[in-house]
Amino acid sequence: MAELSYREAVRDALATALRKDDDVFIMGEDIAEMGGSMGVTQGLLDEFGPARIRNTPISEMAIVGAGIGAAMQGMRPIVEIMYEDFLTLSLEQIVNQAAKHRYMSGGQLKVPLTVRTQGGAGWSPGAQHAQQLEAWLVHVPGLKVVFPSTPSDVRGLLYASIYDDNPVVFFEHRTLYGLKEEVPDELERLELGRARVHREGDDVTVIATGRLVHEAMAAAREAESDGISVEVVDPRTLQPLDEETLVESVKKTNRCVVAHEAITRMGFGAEVAAVIQYQAFDWLDAPIERVGAKFAPLPFAPVMESFVVPHAEDVLAAVKRTVGK
Amino acid sequence: MATEIKLPRLGQGMESGTIVKWLKSEGDQVEKGEPLYELDTDKVTQEVEADASGVLLKIAVEEGEVAVGKTIAVIGEQGEEVAQSADGDSGGDDAQVEERVEEEGSPGAAREAERDEGRRAAAAEASHGNGGARQPTEGRVKASPLARRIARERGIDLAQVRGTGPDGRIVAEDVERAEKEAPAAPTVAAAAAGEIEVRRLSSVRRTIARRLTDAWQAPVFQLTVSVDMTQALSVVERLRTLHEQERPTVTDLLTKVSAAALIRHRDVNAHFVEDEIRVHPSANVGIAVAAPQGLVVPVIRGAERLAIAEIARARAELVGRARDNNLRREDLEAGTFTISNLGMFGIEQFIAVLNPPQVAILAVGSTEERVVVRDGGFVAVATMTATLTCDHRAVDGATGAEFLQTLKTLLEQPALAL
Repeated sequence: MAELSYREAVRDALATALRKDDDVFIMGEDIAEMGGSMGVTQGLLDEFGPARIRNTPISEMAIVGAGIGAAMQGMRPIVEIMYEDFLTLSLEQIVNQAAKHRYMSGGQLKVPLTVRTQGGAGWSPGAQHAQQLEAWLVHVPGLKVVFPSTPSDVRGLLYASIYDDNPVVFFEHRTLYGLKEEVPDELERLELGRARVHREGDDVTVIATGRLVHEAMAAAREAESDGISVEVVDPRTLQPLDEETLVESVKKTNRCVVAHEAITRMGFGAEVAAVIQYQAFDWLDAPIERVGAKFAPLPFAPVMESFVVPHAEDVLAAVKRTVGK
Repeated sequence: MATEIKLPRLGQGMESGTIVKWLKSEGDQVEKGEPLYELDTDKVTQEVEADASGVLLKIAVEEGEVAVGKTIAVIGEQGEEVAQSADGDSGGDDAQVEERVEEEGSPGAAREAERDEGRRAAAAEASHGNGGARQPTEGRVKASPLARRIARERGIDLAQVRGTGPDGRIVAEDVERAEKEAPAAPTVAAAAAGEIEVRRLSSVRRTIARRLTDAWQAPVFQLTVSVDMTQALSVVERLRTLHEQERPTVTDLLTKVSAAALIRHRDVNAHFVEDEIRVHPSANVGIAVAAPQGLVVPVIRGAERLAIAEIARARAELVGRARDNNLRREDLEAGTFTISNLGMFGIEQFIAVLNPPQVAILAVGSTEERVVVRDGGFVAVATMTATLTCDHRAVDGATGAEFLQTLKTLLEQPALAL
């Protein structure tokens, strides 16, 4: 077992696919010589050359559009959108083209494209460079949406995404790139649509994504000293969603908190809460609590940014509300 | 290890409380969170829950007044020796107290078995079509979906279950506890026609019963006055157009005017406690409200300093909370005088029972046109009859009469209240 950082784990999945398969190539802004704005693709240009590690002009719509074209022609392209805030520029290609071709061609076409992007607050990049927009994409049929929170998950899920025959939007979290974890020696695909139970507990289930998985773990440790046993579950893929694991967990604990860094209102947690309340209605002993960012643009000032996004304390407070403490 | 149960501080400024009665006897099994004893503080009587599970080994204070922090009982394991300090004299001796470390089975695991049972029962029920007679509970009971399901499956009437969750919500544990406490399912069999329906007294009902019985022992007298409400009604009318949102009522005007009269006759704005009369500097006027759970008297504090619109707003909030059974402890505390208005039911006049330790309460009837002799002729005048009940230990007849006279004057000429 090797210990890899989240960044190295992404790079390992990319390099493994590039090595194994000539159909795989990467496009994006500053991903070649510079190695990407987050350093994820560093060293890939040296090993795989400029034909497969391709810098692009600054046009997200063109990057994704070219990726879709290549994918429909039989390649397995991976495109990088430098910040997920810039996904908005490529939504026409993702939502109206990538997500629709397989359906509209009656299955004659497929789009095995992976759109990698990253975001997340905690380093004061201001309102346009740290949003969490995963909820925009889960609303669109035809897309798969993945949001891993640990090195082993990001490695196995990215590898699976590259080989999935559908377009996958793959979210990485900026503040997790340095996080380390033991990963399996052999890189294997992790099935898309399988949640991971990070911690078992009896009293409350926290369903968390991205950075909030780690905040939830911290809250769970804290809650334990108050005699509250918290189960932490990360769906890992938002579409398809492993409803069964989430619902089973809540049926066991009877209480549920959903937590993500994205804005609470209309966030992914709202959908999770709806799934839980419908499928586990008769098992709920408290209202489902939601933890997320306040309904505000992300402020630049670090103290204000910290005020807007949720932390372990917020998860802990929500956990305590569900058990009435 | 045994846990010493100490008298908790339930509100700011609470120095002592009076144990009314124990709901468990020595030797009884007690579950954490179960009501253990009834405690009377200056305003509210409430059930206090056990903060540990085990056997009630000793009751150190049977009843009476106890200082906060004093050990009143010990809960431990069957046969366990009771520490010397638990004889009730330990005061705040925390050194004697040891944390209860015994690990009980995880509630989640324990419930798992019950859930399985529940699933089987639900499946069986489903296969028999509609699961038979279900007793709808009257009104809205706050209960979690899980609590509702368990109650449904086991035939427990949620109306009989006390909720310990946020805002009094009934959670699964409460239903499970209620089931253990309940004798063999009398709730399942519907009462046959003509049979006597036995209702266990709720905590609120018990408090009402005890306090009013206490009040009945006070030597009281009543004074009655009829008030020309012509000007008062037109003031209320004007206020309503001025404050469309608050829509002040006659009760709000009465609150304001009573507060003004109380400040002018402070002997009536008092508490009678043991061998003291405590005269209050501010008029905290309680309004008797018929809430679903029984009579409650939320308090509008410092009513003499509030504008009528403010009083109306405060009253609407308090009455709303009372109707939702959502009153906070502080809503009920510190009243110095009470108004009970049954005018809306067409009651012409009545006598209210004291709200101790307050020394006076005003009973207000309906405002109706009555024929009055004026300047040798008859005129129809909007008239209201108000009856003041006074505790004679604190208030003499003349004092009460002067207060009532001021009240009458201020209602007949509201401008004088300014």
